[in-house]
Amino acid sequence: MAILSLRDVSVTYRSSGKEVHAINNISLDVEENESLGIVGESGSGKTTLIMAVLRLLNTKTTDVTGEALLKGEDIFQMTPERLSEIRWTEMAIVFQKALNALSPVHTVGRFIGDIYRVHKPEATKEEIRSVVEETFELVNLPKRIFKLYPHELSGGMLQRVSIAMSLILDPSLLIMDEATTALDVVTQNQILEEIKRLEEQKGITRIMITHDMSVVASSCKKVAVLYAGSLMESGPTEKVLVEPIHPYTQGLVESFPTFKTDTHEPLKSIPGSLPDLANLPAGCVFAPRCPKASDICFNSKPEMKDYPGNRKAACFFAGGSNNE
Amino acid sequence: MKKNFEKFKQALYGNTQFKVGLVMLAILLFIALFAGVLSPYDPYKLSEDLLVSPSSSHPLGTDNLGRDLLSMLFYGAKVSLLVGTISALIAAVIGTLLGGVAGFFGGKVDMIFGGFINIFMMMPTFFLILIVVALFGSGMLKVMIVIGLTSWVGNAKLMRAQALSIKERTYIKSAESIGESKLKILFRHIIPNGIFPIIANTTMGVASAILTESSLAFLGLGDPNIISWGQIIQNGKSYLLTGWWICVFAGLAIIYTVITFYLLGDGINRILSPKLRSR
Amino acid sequence: MKSYLGKRIVTAVLCVFLALLFNFIIIHAAPGNPIRILAGTDSVNEEMIAELTQKYGLDQPAYIQFFRYVGNLFKGDMGVSIYTGQPVADEIISKLGPTLLLCLTSSIIALILGTLLGIFCARHVGSALDSFLGSISYLFDSTPSFWLGLMLILVFASTLHLFPTAGMFNVRQNAEGFARVVDVLYHLVLPSTALSLTLIPYYFRIARTSVIQVGNEDFITTLRGAGMREDRIYRKYVFRNAILPVVTVFGIQLAYIVSGSAIVEIVFSWPGMGSYMMTAISRRDYPTLMGIYLVISISVAVMMIVVDVVYTYLDPRISRSEGK
Repeated sequence: MAILSLRDVSVTYRSSGKEVHAINNISLDVEENESLGIVGESGSGKTTLIMAVLRLLNTKTTDVTGEALLKGEDIFQMTPERLSEIRWTEMAIVFQKALNALSPVHTVGRFIGDIYRVHKPEATKEEIRSVVEETFELVNLPKRIFKLYPHELSGGMLQRVSIAMSLILDPSLLIMDEATTALDVVTQNQILEEIKRLEEQKGITRIMITHDMSVVASSCKKVAVLYAGSLMESGPTEKVLVEPIHPYTQGLVESFPTFKTDTHEPLKSIPGSLPDLANLPAGCVFAPRCPKASDICFNSKPEMKDYPGNRKAACFFAGGSNNE
Repeated sequence: MKKNFEKFKQALYGNTQFKVGLVMLAILLFIALFAGVLSPYDPYKLSEDLLVSPSSSHPLGTDNLGRDLLSMLFYGAKVSLLVGTISALIAAVIGTLLGGVAGFFGGKVDMIFGGFINIFMMMPTFFLILIVVALFGSGMLKVMIVIGLTSWVGNAKLMRAQALSIKERTYIKSAESIGESKLKILFRHIIPNGIFPIIANTTMGVASAILTESSLAFLGLGDPNIISWGQIIQNGKSYLLTGWWICVFAGLAIIYTVITFYLLGDGINRILSPKLRSR
Repeated sequence: MKSYLGKRIVTAVLCVFLALLFNFIIIHAAPGNPIRILAGTDSVNEEMIAELTQKYGLDQPAYIQFFRYVGNLFKGDMGVSIYTGQPVADEIISKLGPTLLLCLTSSIIALILGTLLGIFCARHVGSALDSFLGSISYLFDSTPSFWLGLMLILVFASTLHLFPTAGMFNVRQNAEGFARVVDVLYHLVLPSTALSLTLIPYYFRIARTSVIQVGNEDFITTLRGAGMREDRIYRKYVFRNAILPVVTVFGIQLAYIVSGSAIVEIVFSWPGMGSYMMTAISRRDYPTLMGIYLVISISVAVMMIVVDVVYTYLDPRISRSEGK
């Protein structure tokens, strides 16, 4: 069974009379122990999607529709009490800016300890301290930082603290939002290796949100490509990134240096820019920038369809051949 | 710079606070400019009608000397606007220069100027104004100068911060490398590019200068030869029961004017903080 | 910490000294001889004036007068009032009590009310009450305190006869013990209301902005995502972080406490420093003016240090060895 299934999830922001369609009818399954990378340019709605799943969007200015089934239970229908219960015990998140993820006037240990106490109100101080310190060890942090403040730690340490914080209650689902983007490549690789090790050790399923294809390539089994709030393509990482079937993914891969080192073709970038989310095109959202677009693309929306090798794509011309 | 300004102007017109303030200011300016025509009576002329309550002949009543209150308020608008604007401008010029020099030149110059700014910040301003005005006389010009000389600290701090950040930009570096003189850079580039927060602060400064002037006049330290709202209240407070309208209406006039400038300044500030700063 | 504090104290002493010198120069540059004012306009006896001028040391060069004054300060001698002949220190101490009573009461009321209202509005941004209180705060910010005082007298004292119009206690009753305390509090109501009303907008705005800002921080989202209840998030984390700017404003306001209430005191004939200052100014009582100025400068300097020290305890980001 999928640990997380999204069914027709849409998110609309309302601001000053306008309706911004940030996420449109996304359906996606995350299987247990199959780490998933969600990639897309900035503004593609990656963060909005996970904030919606975590129910952390402002309910006054956003509408969320569809279903998000966590082990079969719809997150969007949960009572506040049930939601509090599953937060951090079932799914935890690591944010991009690790410094901002911690209170500047509380010690690291106090902050993480407090999160632990939300779910284990009966825990004593000593228990909390030993649990937090054990978790620090998991991510190669020295115990002494329990008593330090966030500003006294380096960027890499802070990111590790963030990860430790997310692991403190043994969640089954871990969401990382650009969690390694701000780090240098060496630290980034170290942390990615540690995370992979921890996943196997603890049976955690991870969703990785990033614009960096190399992070996905080196750490995720599956990948989903997001563009302008719609899903373009999904499937096993090694297939999608090597032989993309959606024109957008093809463009994305070609614009990324790491995957084209064997060829001598110059790097290409996709011409044009993201569509106006307040005023979405009638057909495929990528059509205005797509090299293969024809009339049908501008008039009707392509559905997500299955392709061999456990892959999916939303394009009338997926794989280069006309399937229509 | 020019594009900056155009964008800024457009944003201003989209800001409700600023628009309301602008309309209120227009009314105020109209009254101040045409006080002579608009006033039903000569505000300096004494009459037999002492402490007449508001009526059709005297819309806002008269004071203890039989002067028409509405006419006095109209003339007072002139004084308030004049004192407020000139004091705030003096403060703007001093603050911009001191802050700009401290921030742009840096090093020892900053230590001296910055130190001076900090020491001045600790001065109890109102008490200082009181002493100076009381000891040196309270002509309107003196009041304006003293208020201006004592209220530049905020501007100086803003301008110093602006200069510190602007001087790191590439176009300043290139101006330096082609050998433009320091002073020229300061006046041509640093100050014009960093002036927006000073404009907002100076608009607010007009409001607080008007409040300070009215307080001085209320304490009997205003210019005795002119009509100012604070003075009307000082005079009217002895007739609080028999002539409540004197204090009430003069106070409302002050509040109206001060709000006008707060709205304008706050409007400018609001536009500055999210949009222009992020660019 | 120690060396930092030492540095701050040295700077503060220097500031007070410079402020005093500045004030001395202004007073001595002013036209008009205090002795002549003392002697009155009629029957001016030149010999007597010369004698008095010598007695108060006013015949000496200015710089000698200044250093003699500063020298005497170290002996605890602030000089003698030219007008009353009483030691300035004694007079100031007797006036300081009523001022502190009025100012502390008003500041604390304003701090509590303004902050609570600000917090409330921050948690209900955009509500009718929020915009209403926002406008009201504008209004009181634009109202001269003396006018507010007069209006309170007009409505609550002269018309409704609920409270006394002036003074600190009923001279005719001259009550003692508990009755005296009640009498003073009764006289305190209107002046402290006037003063609080002009102070509340500051606290209101600072608290509101600060709580809104902290409420949008990533670490608050982390806590929400971890399942912590809103109440607890606000009580333990938002307020703790949002309190910093409020403390600064309170400190700065206390710094100017000695001169801050002058006008309100005069409106209500409150027998404190404000009224005392005005009398001294009209009499050109140099030693008294210098004394008042000294007390104000010292209180400003001391409060600035106190705010800094309190800050280092509230905000761990500010290193205790470097200062700001």
